Amino acid sequence: MRLVPLALVACTALISGCGGPETSQANNGSANISNESRNEDQAVAANMEARVSLGDAARVMHARHEGMETIGKNFKVLTREIRGGSPNLGTVRASAATITKLAFESGAWFPGGTGPEVGKTGAKPEIWQPQNKADFAAKLHNFQIAAPRFNAAASGNDVAAIKARFAELGGTCKACHDKYRTDMHH
Amino acid sequence: MKQRVWDLPVRLVHWLLAGLIAFSWWSVHNHHTDWHIWSGCAILTLLIFRLMWGFVGSSTARFSSFVRGPRTILAYLRGRWSGIGHTPLGALSVLALFGALAVQVALGLISEDEDGLFTGPLSGLVSIDTSDKARDIHELWFDVILVLIVVHVAAIIFYRLRGKDLTKPMITGRAVLDPGTQPMRPGKWWVAMICLALSIGTVRWIIAGAPPFGHWAPAS
Repeated sequence: MRLVPLALVACTALISGCGGPETSQANNGSANISNESRNEDQAVAANMEARVSLGDAARVMHARHEGMETIGKNFKVLTREIRGGSPNLGTVRASAATITKLAFESGAWFPGGTGPEVGKTGAKPEIWQPQNKADFAAKLHNFQIAAPRFNAAASGNDVAAIKARFAELGGTCKACHDKYRTDMHH
Repeated sequence: MKQRVWDLPVRLVHWLLAGLIAFSWWSVHNHHTDWHIWSGCAILTLLIFRLMWGFVGSSTARFSSFVRGPRTILAYLRGRWSGIGHTPLGALSVLALFGALAVQVALGLISEDEDGLFTGPLSGLVSIDTSDKARDIHELWFDVILVLIVVHVAAIIFYRLRGKDLTKPMITGRAVLDPGTQPMRPGKWWVAMICLALSIGTVRWIIAGAPPFGHWAPAS
Protein backbone atom coordinates (compact mmCIF):
# COMPACT_ATOMS: atom_id res chain seq x y z
CA MET A 1 0.00 0.00 0.00
CA ARG A 2 2.96 2.25 0.55
CA LEU A 3 4.26 1.52 -2.92
CA VAL A 4 1.78 3.83 -4.64
CA PRO A 5 2.81 7.08 -2.94
CA LEU A 6 6.46 6.05 -3.20
CA ALA A 7 6.13 5.52 -6.93
CA LEU A 8 4.35 8.86 -7.21
CA VAL A 9 7.20 10.60 -5.43
CA ALA A 10 9.76 8.82 -7.57
CA CYS A 11 7.99 9.98 -10.75
CA THR A 12 7.73 13.51 -9.44
CA ALA A 13 11.41 13.50 -8.61
CA LEU A 14 12.27 12.26 -12.09
CA ILE A 15 10.09 14.82 -13.85
CA SER A 16 11.33 17.77 -11.85
CA GLY A 17 14.87 16.49 -12.04
CA CYS A 18 15.43 17.18 -8.36
CA GLY A 19 15.48 15.29 -5.12
CA GLY A 20 16.53 11.72 -5.61
CA PRO A 21 15.93 9.00 -3.06
CA GLU A 22 15.70 11.57 -0.26
CA THR A 23 12.28 12.72 -1.42
CA SER A 24 10.94 9.20 -1.01
CA GLN A 25 11.00 9.91 2.72
CA ALA A 26 7.97 12.10 2.24
CA ASN A 27 4.70 10.54 3.35
CA ASN A 28 1.47 10.18 1.47
CA GLY A 29 0.41 13.79 1.99
CA SER A 30 3.72 15.25 0.94
CA ALA A 31 3.60 13.21 -2.23
CA ASN A 32 0.45 15.08 -3.23
CA ILE A 33 2.08 18.33 -2.24
CA SER A 34 5.08 17.94 -4.51
CA ASN A 35 2.76 16.90 -7.33
CA GLU A 36 0.62 19.99 -7.38
CA SER A 37 3.28 22.50 -6.54
CA ARG A 38 6.03 21.78 -9.02
CA ASN A 39 5.59 25.05 -10.87
CA GLU A 40 5.38 27.15 -7.75
CA ASP A 41 8.74 25.92 -6.49
CA GLN A 42 10.14 28.35 -9.01
CA ALA A 43 8.88 31.28 -6.93
CA VAL A 44 11.04 30.16 -4.01
CA ALA A 45 13.89 29.41 -6.39
CA ALA A 46 13.67 32.92 -7.84
CA ASN A 47 13.97 34.40 -4.36
CA MET A 48 17.09 32.30 -3.85
CA GLU A 49 18.65 33.65 -7.03
CA ALA A 50 18.58 37.20 -5.72
CA ARG A 51 21.87 38.09 -4.07
CA VAL A 52 21.72 40.51 -1.17
CA SER A 53 24.23 43.06 0.11
CA LEU A 54 26.03 42.43 3.36
CA GLY A 55 23.79 44.86 5.24
CA ASP A 56 20.65 43.24 3.91
CA ALA A 57 22.10 39.80 4.66
CA ALA A 58 22.30 40.61 8.37
CA ARG A 59 18.69 41.77 8.33
CA VAL A 60 17.45 38.70 6.40
CA MET A 61 19.41 36.29 8.60
CA HIS A 62 18.04 37.91 11.73
CA ALA A 63 14.47 37.65 10.41
CA ARG A 64 15.14 34.03 9.42
CA HIS A 65 16.52 33.11 12.81
CA GLU A 66 13.68 34.80 14.70
CA GLY A 67 11.11 33.31 12.33
CA MET A 68 12.45 29.76 12.62
CA GLU A 69 12.63 30.08 16.38
CA THR A 70 9.02 31.25 16.55
CA ILE A 71 7.94 28.39 14.29
CA GLY A 72 9.82 25.95 16.54
CA LYS A 73 8.27 27.33 19.72
CA ASN A 74 4.79 27.08 18.27
CA PHE A 75 5.49 23.58 17.01
CA LYS A 76 6.43 22.54 20.54
CA VAL A 77 3.20 24.02 21.87
CA LEU A 78 1.28 22.09 19.22
CA THR A 79 3.10 18.81 19.94
CA ARG A 80 2.05 19.04 23.57
CA GLU A 81 -1.55 19.85 22.70
CA ILE A 82 -1.93 17.27 19.97
CA ARG A 83 -0.01 14.34 21.48
CA GLY A 84 -1.12 15.10 25.02
CA GLY A 85 -4.62 13.71 24.46
CA SER A 86 -7.31 16.41 24.52
CA PRO A 87 -6.01 19.43 22.60
CA ASN A 88 -7.15 22.95 23.41
CA LEU A 89 -8.34 23.98 19.95
CA GLY A 90 -7.94 27.68 20.73
CA THR A 91 -4.25 27.15 21.43
CA VAL A 92 -3.87 24.92 18.37
CA ARG A 93 -5.51 27.51 16.10
CA ALA A 94 -3.35 30.38 17.38
CA SER A 95 -0.12 28.44 16.80
CA ALA A 96 -1.30 27.12 13.42
CA ALA A 97 -2.01 30.69 12.30
CA THR A 98 1.40 31.93 13.46
CA ILE A 99 3.23 29.12 11.66
CA THR A 100 1.21 29.66 8.48
CA LYS A 101 1.96 33.39 8.45
CA LEU A 102 5.69 32.70 8.88
CA ALA A 103 5.60 29.92 6.26
CA PHE A 104 4.49 32.49 3.69
CA GLU A 105 7.31 34.81 4.76
CA SER A 106 9.88 32.00 4.68
CA GLY A 107 10.11 32.09 0.87
CA ALA A 108 12.21 35.26 1.19
CA TRP A 109 14.51 33.96 3.93
CA PHE A 110 17.12 32.30 1.73
CA PRO A 111 18.49 34.74 -0.85
CA GLY A 112 22.03 34.18 -2.09
CA GLY A 113 24.69 35.65 0.21
CA THR A 114 23.00 34.68 3.51
CA GLY A 115 24.95 31.50 4.17
CA PRO A 116 27.53 30.65 6.86
CA GLU A 117 30.19 32.58 4.89
CA VAL A 118 28.70 35.90 6.09
CA GLY A 119 27.61 35.06 9.65
CA LYS A 120 26.49 32.53 12.21
CA THR A 121 23.61 30.48 10.87
CA GLY A 122 22.22 26.96 10.95
CA ALA A 123 21.71 27.09 7.19
CA LYS A 124 24.18 24.80 5.39
CA PRO A 125 26.05 26.19 2.37
CA GLU A 126 24.67 23.24 0.37
CA ILE A 127 21.38 25.15 0.09
CA TRP A 128 22.87 27.46 -2.53
CA GLN A 129 24.88 24.89 -4.45
CA PRO A 130 23.57 24.66 -8.02
CA GLN A 131 22.72 20.96 -7.78
CA ASN A 132 20.64 21.49 -4.61
CA LYS A 133 18.80 24.75 -5.27
CA ALA A 134 15.79 23.13 -6.91
CA ASP A 135 15.59 20.45 -4.24
CA PHE A 136 15.78 23.01 -1.44
CA ALA A 137 13.17 25.22 -3.10
CA ALA A 138 10.86 22.22 -3.44
CA LYS A 139 11.32 21.27 0.21
CA LEU A 140 10.70 24.81 1.43
CA HIS A 141 7.66 25.02 -0.78
CA ASN A 142 6.32 21.74 0.65
CA PHE A 143 6.40 23.45 4.02
CA GLN A 144 4.56 26.45 2.60
CA ILE A 145 1.82 24.11 1.35
CA ALA A 146 1.61 21.95 4.46
CA ALA A 147 1.28 24.90 6.87
CA PRO A 148 -1.97 26.35 5.45
CA ARG A 149 -3.33 22.82 5.06
CA PHE A 150 -2.73 22.21 8.73
CA ASN A 151 -4.18 25.64 9.47
CA ALA A 152 -7.32 24.71 7.54
CA ALA A 153 -7.67 21.45 9.45
CA ALA A 154 -7.13 23.30 12.73
CA SER A 155 -10.06 25.62 11.97
CA GLY A 156 -12.30 22.54 12.15
CA ASN A 157 -13.01 20.23 15.05
CA ASP A 158 -11.80 16.93 13.55
CA VAL A 159 -8.91 16.05 15.88
CA ALA A 160 -7.86 13.05 13.75
CA ALA A 161 -7.54 15.30 10.69
CA ILE A 162 -5.63 17.90 12.73
CA LYS A 163 -3.29 15.18 13.88
CA ALA A 164 -2.71 13.86 10.36
CA ARG A 165 -2.02 17.34 8.92
CA PHE A 166 0.25 18.12 11.84
CA ALA A 167 2.32 14.98 11.18
CA GLU A 168 2.49 15.99 7.52
CA LEU A 169 3.69 19.47 8.50
CA GLY A 170 6.37 18.02 10.79
CA GLY A 171 7.50 15.78 7.94
CA THR A 172 8.22 18.82 5.78
CA CYS A 173 10.29 20.41 8.58
CA LYS A 174 12.31 17.23 9.06
CA ALA A 175 12.88 16.56 5.34
CA CYS A 176 14.57 19.94 4.96
CA HIS A 177 16.37 20.12 8.32
CA ASP A 178 17.91 16.65 7.93
CA LYS A 179 19.67 17.76 4.80
CA TYR A 180 20.13 21.51 5.01
CA ARG A 181 20.53 22.52 8.65
CA THR A 182 23.56 22.16 10.88
CA ASP A 183 23.11 21.19 14.52
CA MET A 184 22.82 24.52 16.31
CA HIS A 185 23.86 25.09 19.87
CA HIS A 186 22.75 28.35 21.37
CA MET B 1 37.73 -26.73 35.54
CA LYS B 2 35.60 -23.71 34.64
CA GLN B 3 32.66 -22.92 36.85
CA ARG B 4 29.68 -20.60 36.55
CA VAL B 5 30.28 -16.93 37.38
CA TRP B 6 27.69 -14.88 35.48
CA ASP B 7 24.15 -16.04 34.66
CA LEU B 8 22.46 -15.45 31.32
CA PRO B 9 20.35 -12.43 32.39
CA VAL B 10 23.45 -10.56 33.67
CA ARG B 11 25.35 -11.27 30.46
CA LEU B 12 22.42 -10.38 28.20
CA VAL B 13 21.83 -7.09 30.04
CA HIS B 14 25.52 -6.27 29.77
CA TRP B 15 25.90 -6.83 26.02
CA LEU B 16 22.50 -5.41 25.11
CA LEU B 17 23.34 -2.24 27.05
CA ALA B 18 26.68 -1.97 25.23
CA GLY B 19 24.94 -2.36 21.87
CA LEU B 20 22.02 -0.05 22.65
CA ILE B 21 24.28 2.73 23.98
CA ALA B 22 26.23 2.62 20.71
CA PHE B 23 22.98 2.52 18.71
CA SER B 24 21.51 5.44 20.68
CA TRP B 25 24.56 7.54 19.88
CA TRP B 26 24.55 6.59 16.20
CA SER B 27 20.81 7.03 15.61
CA VAL B 28 20.55 10.50 17.13
CA HIS B 29 23.51 11.69 15.06
CA ASN B 30 21.99 10.35 11.87
CA HIS B 31 18.51 11.89 11.90
CA HIS B 32 16.82 8.84 13.43
CA THR B 33 15.60 10.48 16.62
CA ASP B 34 12.57 8.15 16.66
CA TRP B 35 14.88 5.10 16.82
CA HIS B 36 16.93 6.91 19.46
CA ILE B 37 13.85 7.24 21.67
CA TRP B 38 12.94 3.55 21.23
CA SER B 39 16.52 2.61 22.06
CA GLY B 40 16.27 4.66 25.25
CA CYS B 41 13.04 2.85 26.17
CA ALA B 42 14.80 -0.49 25.64
CA ILE B 43 17.66 0.66 27.88
CA LEU B 44 15.14 1.67 30.53
CA THR B 45 13.57 -1.79 30.33
CA LEU B 46 16.98 -3.38 30.89
CA LEU B 47 17.76 -1.05 33.81
CA ILE B 48 14.49 -1.85 35.58
CA PHE B 49 14.99 -5.56 34.95
CA ARG B 50 18.56 -5.45 36.25
CA LEU B 51 17.51 -3.50 39.33
CA MET B 52 14.98 -6.21 40.23
CA TRP B 53 17.37 -9.03 39.33
CA GLY B 54 19.84 -7.37 41.70
CA PHE B 55 17.53 -8.35 44.55
CA VAL B 56 16.09 -11.70 43.44
CA GLY B 57 18.60 -13.00 40.88
CA SER B 58 21.66 -15.24 40.99
CA SER B 59 24.23 -14.79 43.76
CA THR B 60 26.64 -12.71 41.63
CA ALA B 61 23.80 -10.56 40.29
CA ARG B 62 22.64 -9.44 43.74
CA PHE B 63 23.70 -6.04 45.03
CA SER B 64 23.97 -7.53 48.51
CA SER B 65 26.74 -9.83 47.23
CA PHE B 66 28.95 -7.19 45.62
CA VAL B 67 28.23 -3.71 47.03
CA ARG B 68 30.79 -3.25 49.79
CA GLY B 69 31.97 -0.46 52.08
CA PRO B 70 35.31 1.40 51.99
CA ARG B 71 36.98 -1.03 54.39
CA THR B 72 36.45 -4.01 52.07
CA ILE B 73 37.52 -1.91 49.08
CA LEU B 74 40.80 -1.07 50.87
CA ALA B 75 41.30 -4.71 51.79
CA TYR B 76 40.77 -5.63 48.12
CA LEU B 77 43.33 -3.03 47.00
CA ARG B 78 45.85 -4.53 49.47
CA GLY B 79 45.22 -7.94 47.95
CA ARG B 80 43.26 -9.31 50.88
CA TRP B 81 39.99 -10.26 49.23
CA SER B 82 38.78 -13.36 47.49
CA GLY B 83 35.50 -14.16 45.83
CA ILE B 84 33.71 -14.28 42.50
CA GLY B 85 31.64 -11.73 40.64
CA HIS B 86 32.20 -8.00 40.88
CA THR B 87 35.17 -7.03 43.03
CA PRO B 88 34.53 -4.45 45.78
CA LEU B 89 36.20 -1.79 43.61
CA GLY B 90 34.47 -2.95 40.42
CA ALA B 91 31.16 -2.65 42.25
CA LEU B 92 31.67 1.12 42.38
CA SER B 93 32.06 1.14 38.60
CA VAL B 94 28.88 -0.93 38.20
CA LEU B 95 26.88 1.42 40.42
CA ALA B 96 28.30 4.51 38.68
CA LEU B 97 27.46 3.16 35.23
CA PHE B 98 23.92 2.10 36.14
CA GLY B 99 23.37 5.39 37.99
CA ALA B 100 24.65 7.48 35.10
CA LEU B 101 22.46 5.54 32.65
CA ALA B 102 19.41 6.01 34.88
CA VAL B 103 20.02 9.78 34.95
CA GLN B 104 20.46 9.79 31.17
CA VAL B 105 17.21 7.90 30.56
CA ALA B 106 15.29 10.12 33.01
CA LEU B 107 16.54 13.23 31.16
CA GLY B 108 15.64 11.68 27.81
CA LEU B 109 12.11 10.86 28.92
CA ILE B 110 11.30 14.55 29.49
CA SER B 111 13.37 15.93 26.58
CA GLU B 112 12.26 17.23 23.21
CA ASP B 113 14.35 17.89 20.12
CA GLU B 114 15.16 21.39 18.93
CA ASP B 115 12.18 21.52 16.56
CA GLY B 116 9.63 19.83 18.79
CA LEU B 117 9.30 17.03 16.23
CA PHE B 118 10.37 14.32 18.67
CA THR B 119 9.54 14.23 22.34
CA GLY B 120 10.19 11.90 25.21
CA PRO B 121 6.98 10.24 26.49
CA LEU B 122 7.08 12.19 29.77
CA SER B 123 7.85 15.60 28.22
CA GLY B 124 4.19 16.51 28.61
CA LEU B 125 4.66 16.45 32.39
CA VAL B 126 7.12 19.36 32.30
CA SER B 127 7.21 22.79 30.66
CA ILE B 128 8.70 23.44 27.22
CA ASP B 129 11.63 25.27 28.83
CA THR B 130 12.34 22.36 31.16
CA SER B 131 12.17 19.96 28.22
CA ASP B 132 14.69 22.02 26.25
CA LYS B 133 17.03 22.28 29.23
CA ALA B 134 16.72 18.54 29.85
CA ARG B 135 17.82 17.93 26.26
CA ASP B 136 20.88 20.15 26.71
CA ILE B 137 21.88 18.28 29.88
CA HIS B 138 21.04 14.94 28.21
CA GLU B 139 23.57 15.83 25.52
CA LEU B 140 26.26 16.85 28.04
CA TRP B 141 25.59 13.89 30.31
CA PHE B 142 26.63 11.51 27.57
CA ASP B 143 30.20 12.67 28.22
CA VAL B 144 29.87 11.42 31.82
CA ILE B 145 28.80 8.03 30.47
CA LEU B 146 31.69 8.05 28.00
CA VAL B 147 34.20 8.71 30.81
CA LEU B 148 32.76 5.81 32.82
CA ILE B 149 32.94 3.53 29.76
CA VAL B 150 36.59 4.53 29.22
CA VAL B 151 37.38 3.71 32.87
CA HIS B 152 35.48 0.41 32.52
CA VAL B 153 37.39 -0.64 29.38
CA ALA B 154 40.72 0.61 30.80
CA ALA B 155 40.20 -1.57 33.88
CA ILE B 156 39.52 -4.60 31.67
CA ILE B 157 42.74 -3.93 29.71
CA PHE B 158 44.64 -3.45 33.00
CA TYR B 159 43.49 -6.85 34.30
CA ARG B 160 44.18 -8.47 30.92
CA LEU B 161 47.79 -7.21 31.06
CA ARG B 162 48.07 -8.76 34.49
CA GLY B 163 46.88 -12.07 33.10
CA LYS B 164 43.20 -12.01 34.03
CA ASP B 165 40.67 -12.21 31.18
CA LEU B 166 37.39 -10.57 32.22
CA THR B 167 35.78 -10.46 28.77
CA LYS B 168 35.44 -14.16 28.12
CA PRO B 169 33.56 -14.95 31.35
CA MET B 170 31.11 -12.15 30.47
CA ILE B 171 30.48 -14.02 27.19
CA THR B 172 30.50 -17.66 28.32
CA GLY B 173 29.46 -17.07 31.93
CA ARG B 174 32.25 -19.35 33.16
CA ALA B 175 35.72 -18.89 34.63
CA VAL B 176 38.42 -20.87 36.42
CA LEU B 177 37.95 -20.18 40.12
CA ASP B 178 40.48 -20.20 42.96
CA PRO B 179 40.31 -23.46 44.87
CA GLY B 180 37.78 -23.34 47.67
CA THR B 181 35.74 -20.51 46.06
CA GLN B 182 32.00 -21.05 45.84
CA PRO B 183 30.66 -20.85 42.26
CA MET B 184 27.59 -18.77 41.38
CA ARG B 185 24.25 -19.86 42.79
CA PRO B 186 21.82 -19.44 39.88
CA GLY B 187 18.49 -17.63 40.10
CA LYS B 188 15.19 -19.12 39.02
CA TRP B 189 14.18 -18.75 35.38
CA TRP B 190 10.55 -18.03 36.22
CA VAL B 191 11.61 -15.25 38.59
CA ALA B 192 13.58 -13.76 35.69
CA MET B 193 10.43 -13.96 33.54
CA ILE B 194 8.40 -12.12 36.19
CA CYS B 195 11.09 -9.42 36.41
CA LEU B 196 11.07 -9.09 32.62
CA ALA B 197 7.27 -8.84 32.47
CA LEU B 198 7.26 -6.22 35.22
CA SER B 199 9.97 -4.13 33.55
CA ILE B 200 8.25 -4.25 30.15
CA GLY B 201 4.92 -3.36 31.78
CA THR B 202 6.45 -0.40 33.60
CA VAL B 203 8.07 0.94 30.43
CA ARG B 204 4.84 0.55 28.45
CA TRP B 205 3.09 2.59 31.11
CA ILE B 206 5.80 5.29 30.82
CA ILE B 207 5.54 5.29 27.01
CA ALA B 208 1.82 6.04 27.37
CA GLY B 209 2.78 9.16 29.33
CA ALA B 210 2.44 7.57 32.80
CA PRO B 211 -1.37 7.84 33.12
CA PRO B 212 -3.20 9.20 35.01
CA PHE B 213 -0.42 11.75 35.64
CA GLY B 214 0.09 12.35 31.95
CA HIS B 215 -1.02 11.15 28.56
CA TRP B 216 1.05 10.65 25.43
CA ALA B 217 -0.45 9.56 22.14
CA PRO B 218 1.74 8.02 19.45
CA ALA B 219 2.60 10.33 16.57
CA SER B 220 0.32 9.47 13.67
